[in-house]
Amino acid sequence: MKFEKKIYLNIFYVVIGLALIGCGIADIVDSFWSGMGGALIGVGVIRIVQYVRYRKNPEYREKMEIEVNDERNKFLSGRAWAWAGYAFVMLNAVGTIAFKILENDLLSQYCAYSVCIIIVFYWISFLFLRKKY
Amino acid sequence: MKNKIEEIRKAKGIRQEDFAKIMGVSRQTISSLETGKYNPSIFLAYKIAKFFEMTIEEVFIFDEEEI
Repeated sequence: MKFEKKIYLNIFYVVIGLALIGCGIADIVDSFWSGMGGALIGVGVIRIVQYVRYRKNPEYREKMEIEVNDERNKFLSGRAWAWAGYAFVMLNAVGTIAFKILENDLLSQYCAYSVCIIIVFYWISFLFLRKKY
Repeated sequence: MKNKIEEIRKAKGIRQEDFAKIMGVSRQTISSLETGKYNPSIFLAYKIAKFFEMTIEEVFIFDEEEI
């Protein structure tokens, strides 16, 4: 099951997180990277705790299996990503024009590039999915 | 798409929670199916119909106007 396989990835997150914090203490990297290490440890530990609970508690396991495999949840997740992507494109399109009017060319360009990149990703995904299905 | 899931389930005396467990979906999915907010995949529709020992057409009401 997917949930089980991800445990190794989370152990990896914790190891990387510890390494980043270690490097931060030794002044090899700045606070951004040690902060990132802390976040990785947090995410990794939470997932590992969930995994241990998953292994030991059959009721929780059943609940998780249903939650992960539930077709409505998958449908909703896909819909939510589609809405989020659409909102991102629209906001950036508006931002491109708004920042141009406000004479902030850098932000205007950032918004325009974001729209272009996501549209390129959309078409790549669309062509890939068209071949797959 | 309208369906008779709630009617059939109640006639068989099965709780929504138990039915969800049997179908391997969440209780919210069954609730959304019963209220017509969510249309099931063909696999789930088949599974439900098979469980009720009916055909898909007997459980789900196909309305061409909805397309």
